[in-house]
Amino acid sequence: MKTEMDFEDLMEEAYGLPNGTAKLGMLEEAARVADVNGMEEEAYEARSEIVETATFCGYPMKALIAFSWQLGKFDQQPERYDEETLMWSYKWILGELSSFPEVSRDKMMELLEDFGRRFKSFGYSERSYWYYRFRISMDLGDLEEAGSSYTKFRNMDRDFMSDCEACEQDEIMRYWILVGDDEKVLEAAKPILKGRMSCAEIPHLTLSEILMPLYRLGKIDEADKHQAKGYRMIKGHNDFVQSFAEQMDYLARTNPAKGIDVLEESLVLAMDHEDPFAKMMFYARAAQLLRRWADESPGYRLRLPASFPYEGDPGDLRKLADYFAAHAKSAADKYDQRNGNQHVSSMLSEV
Amino acid sequence: MTASNEYRFQVNLSGMIQILSNHLYSSPKVFLRELMQNATDAITARTEAEPGFQGEVRVELTGTGEHRTMMVEDNGIGLTEADIHEFLAMIGQSSKRGQQALLDGETSFIGRFGIGLLSCFMVSHEIVMLTQSAKGGPSMEWRGKPDGTYTIRQLETQLSPGTKVYLRCTPDAAHYFETEYVQEALFYYGALLPYPVILHSDDVQHIVNSESPIWLMEPELACGRRAEVFSFGERLLGEKFQDFIPLTTASGRTGGIAFVLPHAVNLNAKRSHRVYLKRMLISEKAENILPEWAFFVKCLIWTDELQPTASREHFYENEKLEDVRFELGDALRRGLADMAESQTERLQKLIRLHALSMKALAVQDQEFYAMIHRWLPFESTRGHRELGELISEGETLYFTTTVDEYRQIHHVASAQSMLVINGGYIYDSDLMAMLPLAVRNVQTERLQPDEVSMSFTDVPPAERNQYYDALRLADSALQRFRCRAEVKGFKPADLPVLFTLSQESSTLRALEKASEESTELFSSVLGSLSSGISSAGYSTLYLNISNPIIQRVLTSPDAQMTPIAIEMLYVNALMMGHYAMNRQELEVLNQGIVRFIDWGLRANTDRKGDA
Repeated sequence: MKTEMDFEDLMEEAYGLPNGTAKLGMLEEAARVADVNGMEEEAYEARSEIVETATFCGYPMKALIAFSWQLGKFDQQPERYDEETLMWSYKWILGELSSFPEVSRDKMMELLEDFGRRFKSFGYSERSYWYYRFRISMDLGDLEEAGSSYTKFRNMDRDFMSDCEACEQDEIMRYWILVGDDEKVLEAAKPILKGRMSCAEIPHLTLSEILMPLYRLGKIDEADKHQAKGYRMIKGHNDFVQSFAEQMDYLARTNPAKGIDVLEESLVLAMDHEDPFAKMMFYARAAQLLRRWADESPGYRLRLPASFPYEGDPGDLRKLADYFAAHAKSAADKYDQRNGNQHVSSMLSEV
Repeated sequence: MTASNEYRFQVNLSGMIQILSNHLYSSPKVFLRELMQNATDAITARTEAEPGFQGEVRVELTGTGEHRTMMVEDNGIGLTEADIHEFLAMIGQSSKRGQQALLDGETSFIGRFGIGLLSCFMVSHEIVMLTQSAKGGPSMEWRGKPDGTYTIRQLETQLSPGTKVYLRCTPDAAHYFETEYVQEALFYYGALLPYPVILHSDDVQHIVNSESPIWLMEPELACGRRAEVFSFGERLLGEKFQDFIPLTTASGRTGGIAFVLPHAVNLNAKRSHRVYLKRMLISEKAENILPEWAFFVKCLIWTDELQPTASREHFYENEKLEDVRFELGDALRRGLADMAESQTERLQKLIRLHALSMKALAVQDQEFYAMIHRWLPFESTRGHRELGELISEGETLYFTTTVDEYRQIHHVASAQSMLVINGGYIYDSDLMAMLPLAVRNVQTERLQPDEVSMSFTDVPPAERNQYYDALRLADSALQRFRCRAEVKGFKPADLPVLFTLSQESSTLRALEKASEESTELFSSVLGSLSSGISSAGYSTLYLNISNPIIQRVLTSPDAQMTPIAIEMLYVNALMMGHYAMNRQELEVLNQGIVRFIDWGLRANTDRKGDA
């Protein structure tokens, strides 16, 4: 019986699967088997895989839980485990942390310091610390603080623990988006769009982020090109829920029919996503899109996933839009309260 | 522009050769492919000018050791003096534009000829080329050295049209000049060529490629020549196959044979299809030419419409490739659909080997799913069965979405003869959710662990009243584990309790467990996260009233004994369900065991005392 598989079998089967909930389930099962049988190193190994898989398929909470366990074990017996892999995971955790409104500002700063202290103690470059300070400040809406961290991290040496150039460049671009300087956004995007910088997630993310800035600058042809290419790259992957939101934001203005396709194709991915921020953005943009679409094509019945918890009539697009908007707004309130500003709700001002 | 204003960069041939050998080609052995490609292009060009012309490539090996020489001759269009100058100029331009231009650029026939020829410097310190253009003019000789120097001269004698290239091996590359190697490589690259490739070595001469089969250009004919297709497949791909599906596209410019792998494959296995571009092998590890789900086949594909990268080892990922990929996938799907209609046994056999691939495709394609659903295997409370059999039971098909949920409920569910399918494996729960859309008159329903309780027998209110005190004791004992007790009747009767866990309470358990092990800082972060979940996070311990021990615990509540018994039943249920226990729970287990031993012994001693 498969439910009685042992640790090695489970890990092997998990390694054979593509990233996704099935793989994650298999890894969790492996961690459980290891826990029950007191196999600590195996439990640690399974959790390393959980952190990575969960981070890249929409389960940041599971990643955080597994990482917390690992860090505790590591601190008890640092000689037993590899610190590079663990510290690399720490960066993923920091990158996701702000998505949970329950985690307070102070706690985030404490974690950032803990991260910085650990990086320093292993002799890694301080660039990573400042870079994550830059990112977290952006998440919290402290653009001034973000700006000064930006200046700082850029001048520091990169090392093997630094994020790749493409990822850094994408974050720099995000900074200019938040600041509202579309010309600078384009400038920052250039090396990515020209293909000079890329990685597993870039330009996937960039091609959606760039759409609204291009739209505002009136460069619709270019934006359309990036939209088509970008969507092709991310379609069906639940790692890109926020990108679907950006796609809908743009398409609501230029081609709502295509936007509806994006919504129908990716709603099931957004629903099941554990990152409340990405989900909020998706719901907010879905609401916006539905309102435009209701004007253009009244009576259209939106194809909702079977498990979507909406009781109303899927043909009443305005009601449905309200439903999405309500979700997004209540999430935004939580972020505003945590951040102590209107940063997040202002991103949804049109909803 | 006047001549005096025109400057030309010096061709930096040695730099070019560096680039080629270090960055462009994956291995020196490709020189032979490049020579074959040049020959093929030249023959194609001549055939266009002279319809009906019969091409031929001859490869001759002479000498031994350091003097081993290879001559590759074609009877193609040949080069004029102007052509030679042009290809040298092309190379010059490429080197001027730098490495990237060379790697990316689409080049003309002459340009490709030149670049291909340069690959020979990876195995030879000198290249001698004799050529006679079919268009006339004198025969030409070009001699090039890897330092970039070369000579061009007119020959006095007139050769017949075509090109001969002479190479003398470098010591490092001698093994590429051995007869056996060359013969194999020629077949490998040129098995599909429509004209003879002849190898002449040590006074022996033979044709390397048998006449190219007719079904190459018309794959639908392959079905009538199965034996021939299988032996060709085995010779080229090195495996004995038992089934294949012909691949065709609307344009007819791409086609192939998809051999069904005779063994199961891992979902992450490298998809290595062998692709021929204009009948020359271009790649044996083309991964991107078929859709993701097609990992159950190894294909021979020929195409003349895709654009190779400069190294000619891969294709550019562009829209054309995407269209071709879609069409090939569609052909594969049609092949399977035909089987579903007329050769179900063949399809069953295929599904048994490649269920995962079939499920991957079914998830993306409802129509296909409808066609093949009945043969897909699932794990259920009735054992490993094909979906068709499960459907024929005529019941609602309940399914879980995780292995964990299935594990929690399958004992109870099967005791109650509920039909539950384990949807925890990849694609399975998606397929279950989709099933009613794809197949008529089938009901599926997602089952949450706490929903199994639906089919429990309720205890009548009057009777429940009688357990009131015991339940209160139980609830207060379990409260610290964020669990509550409930009395129900269920099968099997020998199962005293059943522990169920909702998604939220499962997350909470994981949070707590990690929090115990983590650093103080992370524990407090996890603590604030759990505050966001808590409301729905209660688990349930069902006490089975049909079980004699539970009967006894419930009917004579003892303020001292009942809480401990309930706690023990709780940790026992955790153990039975293979849940990892937290510190508190482990402590309960340890203390409980000691206490029960103590009580048991004391009772024994007391009884002895009475006697």
